[in-house]
Amino acid sequence: MAWRILVAEDEGLAAMAIEDELLREGYEVVLAPDGQAALEAAAQQPPDLLLTDLRMPRLDGAGLIRALRSSRPALPVVVMTGYAPAGGAGAFARQGEGPVALFAKPLDMDAVLAALRKLLPGP
Amino acid sequence: MALDPLLLPAPLLLPPGLCTLVDPDLIWLHLISDVATGLAYLSIPAALMVFALRRRDLAYPWVFALFAAFIIACGATHLMHAWTMFTPAYEAEGLIKAITAAVSVTTAIVLWPLLPRLLALPSPEAMAREVDERRAAEARALASEARSAAFIAHLAEALFVIRVLPDGGFQAETVNPAFERLFGISGDAMRHKPIETVVPAALLAAALPHWRQAAAERQPAEYVMEAETPAGWRVWQTVLVPMVGPDGQVERLLGSARDITMTRRLQADLLQSAKLATVGTMCAGLAHETSQPLNAAILWLRNARAAADGMQPETQVARLNTAFGVVEGQLRRAGDLVARIRALPGEEAGATHVFDATRTAEAAIRTAAGQYGPEGIEIALRNHPDPLPVRGAPARLEQALLQLLANARDAVQDRRASDPASSGQISVTLREEAGEAVVEVQDAGTGVPEALRDAIFDPFFTTRDPGHGSGLGLPLAAAVARGMGGRIYCHNAPEGGAVFTMRLALAPLSCLLTTEEARN
Repeated sequence: MAWRILVAEDEGLAAMAIEDELLREGYEVVLAPDGQAALEAAAQQPPDLLLTDLRMPRLDGAGLIRALRSSRPALPVVVMTGYAPAGGAGAFARQGEGPVALFAKPLDMDAVLAALRKLLPGP
Repeated sequence: MALDPLLLPAPLLLPPGLCTLVDPDLIWLHLISDVATGLAYLSIPAALMVFALRRRDLAYPWVFALFAAFIIACGATHLMHAWTMFTPAYEAEGLIKAITAAVSVTTAIVLWPLLPRLLALPSPEAMAREVDERRAAEARALASEARSAAFIAHLAEALFVIRVLPDGGFQAETVNPAFERLFGISGDAMRHKPIETVVPAALLAAALPHWRQAAAERQPAEYVMEAETPAGWRVWQTVLVPMVGPDGQVERLLGSARDITMTRRLQADLLQSAKLATVGTMCAGLAHETSQPLNAAILWLRNARAAADGMQPETQVARLNTAFGVVEGQLRRAGDLVARIRALPGEEAGATHVFDATRTAEAAIRTAAGQYGPEGIEIALRNHPDPLPVRGAPARLEQALLQLLANARDAVQDRRASDPASSGQISVTLREEAGEAVVEVQDAGTGVPEALRDAIFDPFFTTRDPGHGSGLGLPLAAAVARGMGGRIYCHNAPEGGAVFTMRLALAPLSCLLTTEEARN
């Protein structure tokens, strides 16, 4: 069974391209245009990994990570952002115990895919 | 006691009516009294004359002479009276009486007008009182002088007195300890020497126009100066007061200088901090907004590359791939710019810890020296100080120092373009000062024009031709300094060239040791 990745990204064009890349890698993809939609999608279909932007309408990335990790503290998270948050990946240390990888936009997609392979090892 | 008249010659008695002294006892009484009085009257003037001769400071010494003459004359009448008891020299006696009368009347006449003046003379008591008062006043003056001296010695403001010489030259007369501290020039070394032999030339050149103006206009002058002094870079505010002598010429200039180096530094800090905060917010927003379309474009380019893979004919695919390569290269270039802008805000990314700035500086110098060595540019670390514990990310500080060194290298290159013989030296000084770690990078370039001093830390500000220098190096160094609780500023060295000074908050040395131990 394929790993399910929840992609929260408000930039539609970027989300579509990312979806293409992930599908090609054999992942199952759920797209959400903002944090709130991602939270609702996660309730329907619990993801194995969250790939999220930080700045989004309704609920931002940090809020989304906190909400998802309140029930699943070990959920792996990959953050892609145009901002470099103060403290880097360490800034999310208190929002659960799971690993967090941080990528700056524009994304180096090869590096992102490599990180995903590490966090979600093949069966 | 009765005397026996037979033992002495009988006084010649006058015919009755002239003298009534018929009783021998009475005669003897008169005789002895007259002789005694006469002798005493001769003795008193002698004593008076001795007194007058010894006390040369007497007021009206002639009064003593007059009194002496008067008393001698009186004595003479008594002696003459005694004499006429034996010899009837009545003409002589009359003459002496007349002289006595003349002297007495003269004395009496002279004495009355003199009386008020004699009374006006201070009495010994008044004199003693006056002496006491004067002594007290003197003591008060001395105490006041001591107070002033203590005040001047401990005043925070630097005081100096400059003598204006007739030829228009200046000579240092005296300075207080605050002056010595502010300028690092010893007062003893300055005293009464021509000013140009004791004050550094650059400092004097800046001060002289103000001194000359104050001396010429005879008006107090106020000015602010900044210069490199033997005690370091200083900014001070001076008030000069010209002191005019009895001939109407300005004899001295009294100067007081207030050290406003720290105030200026704080003002500049606040300004730089506010500017960097604004710049930081702007850069963060710019980086975010630009990164979104770049991100989508790069992702779709990958998509396009994947779609083109395996297409026919191959010549078309090759052309397409060339186009993809160009577009991707340009997008990456824009992406790199965004990454550099994102690095500006100054908040330290990643974990911070206490580390030794000296080691970081040494590492940066090694890296830069390796790069600039082939260009004939030397980087010299002027001193090998103790560890300088600071808090932050060593990689960020090293990056900032590399930017300062790169800037110094560019300055040296620029100078060489116009003056090929100029020195290719960059010197770095590390020191601890007033609770701060100070890193100074001095180049042998042409210096930073005054008007550009603040602007050089603004992002994208550059004096270089388009394509050379992004204008992000110095802003990054400033942002790193700010992120580490410090700041950066620049001034021109007196010998030419710019000095960039980075001041960082010192962390406790014990934290450094703990960190180092943990690493070991």
